[in-house]
Amino acid sequence: MLTVALPKGRIAEETLAIFEKIFGKSFLFDDRKLILEVGEFRFLLVRNQDVPAYVLHQSADIGVVGLDVLEEKDEDLVRLLDLGIGKCKVCVGMRDDEELNYNSPDIKIATKMVNITQNYFSKKAMAVDVIKLYGSIELAPLVGLADAIVDIVETGTTMKQNGLKVVETIMESSAHLIANKNSFIEKKEEIISLYRKISEEIKKK
Amino acid sequence: MQFLVKNYIMIDEHEIPTGSRLYFGKSAKLKREIEAVSSEFLGEAGFEEIVTPFFSYHQHQSLNEKEIIRFSDEQNNIVSLRADSTLDVVRLMTKRLGRSTKQNKWFYIQPVFRYPNTEINQIGAEFIGNNDLSSSIGICEKVFTKFDLNPLVHISNIKIPKIIAEELNLSLDIFEKAELQKILSLEIDWLEKLACLQRPEDIDKVIEIVPQNIKVELKKMKSLYEKLNYKNVHFSPLYYVNMRYYDELFFRFIDKNCTLAKGGSYESEGLESTGFGLYTDAFIETLIKK
Repeated sequence: MLTVALPKGRIAEETLAIFEKIFGKSFLFDDRKLILEVGEFRFLLVRNQDVPAYVLHQSADIGVVGLDVLEEKDEDLVRLLDLGIGKCKVCVGMRDDEELNYNSPDIKIATKMVNITQNYFSKKAMAVDVIKLYGSIELAPLVGLADAIVDIVETGTTMKQNGLKVVETIMESSAHLIANKNSFIEKKEEIISLYRKISEEIKKK
Repeated sequence: MQFLVKNYIMIDEHEIPTGSRLYFGKSAKLKREIEAVSSEFLGEAGFEEIVTPFFSYHQHQSLNEKEIIRFSDEQNNIVSLRADSTLDVVRLMTKRLGRSTKQNKWFYIQPVFRYPNTEINQIGAEFIGNNDLSSSIGICEKVFTKFDLNPLVHISNIKIPKIIAEELNLSLDIFEKAELQKILSLEIDWLEKLACLQRPEDIDKVIEIVPQNIKVELKKMKSLYEKLNYKNVHFSPLYYVNMRYYDELFFRFIDKNCTLAKGGSYESEGLESTGFGLYTDAFIETLIKK
């Protein structure tokens, strides 16, 4: 039995669709249920940012999570496979009429992704003041809370609608299949067999 | 009663720092039993006990400084709280006691400390001048069996990922994070077989097809397995962790998400040696959950 942590929403739906194609049966959560058992798999529906924690502590053997979350959490996990779904970018955004001023001694950045932001600007030898927010990040530069934001961009529409533009791309992200390190040793044959099936399925796309 | 500390964080008078260990009642009894059983088996195997100082001058030279709790002595030399026992035990044995004793098997039951405030209780053993790791695995097995545990042991060889990384010009990060996709995307048949190797009985098929320098290292894994009575064994030849001293054969006993023991072969002060550590805290947690 393999336990799989899935992030609620579109990535879970797309991952389950891959399982349906591979195993030729339905993988569908009942309404509001957070656990689904089908054959040799047990799926857990969790918040995106919590997937690494479930896998790290082995409540799940494997999981599906965005590369951005993996980089932000930087946990000791096995990175198995880029699933090529849930593609997005982590970008620096600013008001349309502004540019990032690298000469400024004091730059404030609002973001959910504190570690990615710190690492990115540290590499540019910039000591930025990072303000951790939990949502509506686009608001921060509009009301003077921050000079810029670091946020996930899929199409760029939300930024545009709020009078913001992408000034730099920090990284490209997509959903990855990950595994707990001990589970990967204990259940290597099962995990690699699943890896191969998923890998073949996504190559067909 | 509460105390006011930096940044106005209130600390209750009964609070203990995160990362510190508190055992009482059943858990304290288990700790005592684990340590007693381990010292009995180690004694039977010819090991003598050593208790090394909590304070050390040398740890920061060998370990990641960020992990060490450091301060200064009266001469402003860096002193650290013991973060690892092996280095001090081997140095003491080879430099100080080596001339006066032929004893080369030592064990210790003492905690180590990591920055900022992590305590790790462990039972360790060093067999100086010995390169046969089967005796270390054998002692761990006896201790676990005594407590009715049958954890999986995985055997690796740290040299294998190092050789592959060097020869194929790959980053060791790929092995540390077990990035299977990157490893398999190289489309090298023997590498794929190595990555998938789990069962000891399959090792001969892999030995046949790998390059000569890896063949030698795989044979060491096979030879170690053949000396063991313990059969709950998996092979993980591409497993890599940047360890302080284990540089060849390596083993780890795991039970679910806990590492109960790990050990390996290493070279220190010019001597081939073997050693292992039993993680008392994880051991107690496993027994309590059982």
